[in-house]
Amino acid sequence: MILKYDVSPKTAEKIPLGEDERIYYAIPYDIDKDGSWLKGAYLFVTTKKIHVFDGEEIKETIEIKDLSRAKAEAKVGGGILVVTENGIEKVVVHYSAKHLSRYAYIARGINILISGRFEEVESGEYEKMCPKCGRAIPGTKYCPHCSKEGGFLKEFLAMAKPYKKDFFGVFMLMVLVAVTTLLNPEIQKHLINDVLKGNGGFKQALVLLLIMFSLSVSIVVINFFKSNASTKLGAKISADLRMALFKKYQALPLAFINDRRPGELLNRITQDTTYIREFMEDVFCNLFAVLFIFIWDIIFMMVLNFKLAILTFITVPIVVVLIIGFRKVVYRIFHLQFRKNDDVSSDLQDVISGMRVVKTYGREEEEANRFKHLSAEFARTQRKNETFWALFYPMISFLMGMGVVIVVYFGGNDVLKDKMSAGELYQFITYTTLLFQYINWMSWLPRELTLLTSSLERINDILSQEIDEKDEDTLVDLQIEGEITFDHATFGYKSYQPVLEDINVVIKPGEMIGIVGASGTGKSTLINLLMGLYEVDDGHLLIDNVDIKNIHSKSYHSQLGVVLQETFLFSGTILDNIRFSRPDATYEEIVKAAKMANAHDFICNTPDGYNTYVGEKGYSLSGGERQRVAIARAILTNPRLLILDEATASLDTESEFMIQKALERLTKGKTTFAIAHRLSTLRKADRIMVIDGHSIAEIGTHEELLNNKGIYYNLYKAQIG
Amino acid sequence: MAEINTFEKEAEEMTAMHVITKNDKFERTGGGFVDLTYNGVKYERVKVVRLFPFTDADKYISIRENTDKAKEIGIIEDLEAFDEETKEILREQLRLNYFTPVIQKIMSIKDEYGYAYFHVMTDKGECNFAINMASNAVTKLSDSRLIIMDLDENRFEIRDVNALTQKERRKLDLFL
Repeated sequence: MILKYDVSPKTAEKIPLGEDERIYYAIPYDIDKDGSWLKGAYLFVTTKKIHVFDGEEIKETIEIKDLSRAKAEAKVGGGILVVTENGIEKVVVHYSAKHLSRYAYIARGINILISGRFEEVESGEYEKMCPKCGRAIPGTKYCPHCSKEGGFLKEFLAMAKPYKKDFFGVFMLMVLVAVTTLLNPEIQKHLINDVLKGNGGFKQALVLLLIMFSLSVSIVVINFFKSNASTKLGAKISADLRMALFKKYQALPLAFINDRRPGELLNRITQDTTYIREFMEDVFCNLFAVLFIFIWDIIFMMVLNFKLAILTFITVPIVVVLIIGFRKVVYRIFHLQFRKNDDVSSDLQDVISGMRVVKTYGREEEEANRFKHLSAEFARTQRKNETFWALFYPMISFLMGMGVVIVVYFGGNDVLKDKMSAGELYQFITYTTLLFQYINWMSWLPRELTLLTSSLERINDILSQEIDEKDEDTLVDLQIEGEITFDHATFGYKSYQPVLEDINVVIKPGEMIGIVGASGTGKSTLINLLMGLYEVDDGHLLIDNVDIKNIHSKSYHSQLGVVLQETFLFSGTILDNIRFSRPDATYEEIVKAAKMANAHDFICNTPDGYNTYVGEKGYSLSGGERQRVAIARAILTNPRLLILDEATASLDTESEFMIQKALERLTKGKTTFAIAHRLSTLRKADRIMVIDGHSIAEIGTHEELLNNKGIYYNLYKAQIG
Repeated sequence: MAEINTFEKEAEEMTAMHVITKNDKFERTGGGFVDLTYNGVKYERVKVVRLFPFTDADKYISIRENTDKAKEIGIIEDLEAFDEETKEILREQLRLNYFTPVIQKIMSIKDEYGYAYFHVMTDKGECNFAINMASNAVTKLSDSRLIIMDLDENRFEIRDVNALTQKERRKLDLFL
C-alpha cells in the first residue's frame, strides 16, 4: 500500500523543508470541511511537521513536538485523523474509506516520530485499485493489466514449460485438424465441377465421396484425440498447481493467511485452478487450430476469387460489432432475470427457515403477499425475456449468414458470367461459413484471456510469496521442563494495532495459570503466541530460557497439548482422531488415554467402538463427546505444556463435570494455561492472570486478587453473586 | 446488599432513557469536536450517533461518552427542535461521522471482467468508483432505494431509482 504518493513538482515546491528534514509520508485526503469530495489535497508528514495541503496551498501546519498522540478513527464510510496537540484533541483531515487503512499506518508513523524515533512505517497490504490505470486489482500485488509487458504470454509460457511434450502433442493434433478441415471443401469442389457438371463417371464420384467420407471420419477421430489430450493436460496442470498452492498455504505464516478472507484462499485452490483446466479444455485445444484455419481460409478465399473475398471481408467488422452489441443486450436481460430469480429463492429460503417465527407471530398472510409480489415480478421478466429471445434469435442467425448472402449474390453473378465455376462457388461459400464461425469464436477470446491472466496472477501471487526459512543449525531440540518467560513481549495481528503490549511474567514449571478478561482483550492471542502460531513483534518469549524462535517447531509441538473451545475433529474415525497427535500409538495407549479422558465409556456404547466414524468436523458426536476425544488426543502425547482455551464452556453440567475431572488428571504436574469465563473452573489454578487493556492488569492467587478488590474481584462477585 | 456490584449497576443503567433537549448545552471544542453539558455535568468530546441513518437521519440521535464503552448520555429526539447554532454544531459532527454520498446522476457504467466502473454525480460532487460484480455490492433498502458498496467500502446511496432517467436506469439494470 502506498504511503508516499508522487506529487507534482509544483506541489512539492510548496512544502518547506528545513535542514535534516525530509518527507516521510504523502497521502491524499478526499473530503473537505463541508463534507464534499476533494481532489488534489494531500497530507504531508515530515521529520518535524505535519502539513495539510488543500490542493492550492498549505492550509495548516502542525509541529510534531507539540503532539502527544495521533489516532486514525474509523467512521461510517470514511475516517478522520485526530491528533492531541497540547492536550487538545483535534481533527486534522477527513477521508473516505478508500484511505482508511492508509491513515491507520500514518497514525502509527506519526506516533513513532512523536516518540523521537525515525523509523518509517511500511505497509504490506495491497492496493485495491491500480494507481496507474484505475482498474480494480483482483487481490494481487500487481495490476494484471499494467504490471508486465506481454505479461500474459510470459506467465502462460512459464506455467506451460514443464509440460513441453504434452503441449507439442496437442499442437500437432491441432495442425492435423486444421489441414483436414480445410481439405474438405477442395474435394467438394471437384465433386461438383468434375462429376456433377463435368462428365465424370460413377467411379470418379465414388472415389471423391470416399475421400470426403474418410476426411470427415478423420476429423472426428483427430478431434477425439485432441480433446482427450488437452483435457488430460489441463487436469494435470491444475492438479499440480493445486498441490503447489496447498503446500505453500501450509508453509506460509499464519499472519499471511489471516490477512486474507478464507473464502478467497479457498477460491484460489478450487476456482482458479479449475479455470485453468477449463481454459485448456475449451479454449486452448482449439486456439491454434482456429488461428491456422482462419489464416488459410482467408488465403484460399483470396486465391479463389479476390474481388469476392474483399467484399466478404468488408462485412466482417459490421458483423463483429453487431454480434458484440447483441451479446451485451442478451447478457443484460438475462442477468436481470437471474437476479430476480435469486430474489425469489432467497426470500423463499428466508421464510422457510424462519417458519417458526412467522407462525408464532401470525404473519403468514403478509409473508405470502410479499412472496406473491416477488414471484409475479420474476414471472413478468421471464415472459418478457422469452419474447425477446424468440424475436431476436433468428436475427443473430441472419447476421451470421449475411456474408453468405452477399457471396451467393455476387458469386452467382460470376458463375453465370462464367468467371467462376459452380464448384468454386460452393467451395467459397463453405470457406465463408467457416470464416464467420471462427470470428464468433474469436470474439470471446479477449475475455477468456483476461480471465486466465487474472487466475494465473492470483495463483502466482501465492506461489511467489517468500517465506523466511529458519537456519536449521541454530534450532535446538528441547526437552521441555515447563518454565515460561514473557520478556517485554509485544504483539499485534496488524502491525499498527498491538493486541498485547509489554507482557512480563515468569511461570514456574508445573504451575497452572488461569487467564481471565473480557473478550477481545488478548487472552487467545497470548495463547496463540504460546502455541508458536505467531512470533512476538518486540521482546521475547522464552521456554526454559530458550527463545521459542530457536526451538525446533516439530520438537516443540510434540510436547504441547491443546484443548480448545470449539474442538476440531477431522472427518474420520475416533481412532484416527485420537491418534492424530501421535500416529505410532498402540491400541493399549489409546484406550488408556480415552479412559483418562472419560471418553472410553461413551465410545464403548457406540456400535462401532473406536472405529466409529465421526462425520464431517465430528458433528455426529455431541459437544461433550468431541471435547473428550480432544482431551484423549492431548493426553496421548503426554505433553509438558498444556493449553486449555475455554475447554468446558458451552457444555452441560454433567459433561462439564466429567471433563473437569479428566482435565485435572491431565494437568497434574504440567505447566498449564487455562482460559475460562466461568471462574469456578479455575479454582485449581495456582495463579490467575487478568488481561485488560492489552496487558496483564492483575496477577496472583485467588485470595490475593480477591483482597485486591480489582477487576477479578468484580468479576467474581458478578458470577458468584 | 452492602456491596454494590458494578455489573449489576451497569445492567440497570442500560435500561434508562434520557432525553436531551434544547436546554442542554452543546459547545464546539478547539479541535473541531463537541462538548455537552447535561444535568450540570460536562462531557467532553461526545460521540454523535444516528439511530436510524437510512429511514430518519435527523431524528433519534444518540449522544455518547467518548470512552471505550461509549456509554449513552442521552438521546436527541428531533434535531429540528434545536436552535440554528446547535443544529450546525451537531451537523458538523454528523458530517465527520457519516459519509454516504447520494447519487444524483449516472454519467456512465462500464463493466469489464467482473468489475463495474461507475462515473456519477453525487450530492458531494462528481466521482468515480468501482464495484465487484461477483460480491453483493448492492443492498436494497426498499424497492427503489439502494446502497452501493464499492471496492474500498465507500457507500453510495440511490434514494429513488424511479427518479433516474430511462437511460440511467438501463445502465443500472445490471445491478438491480
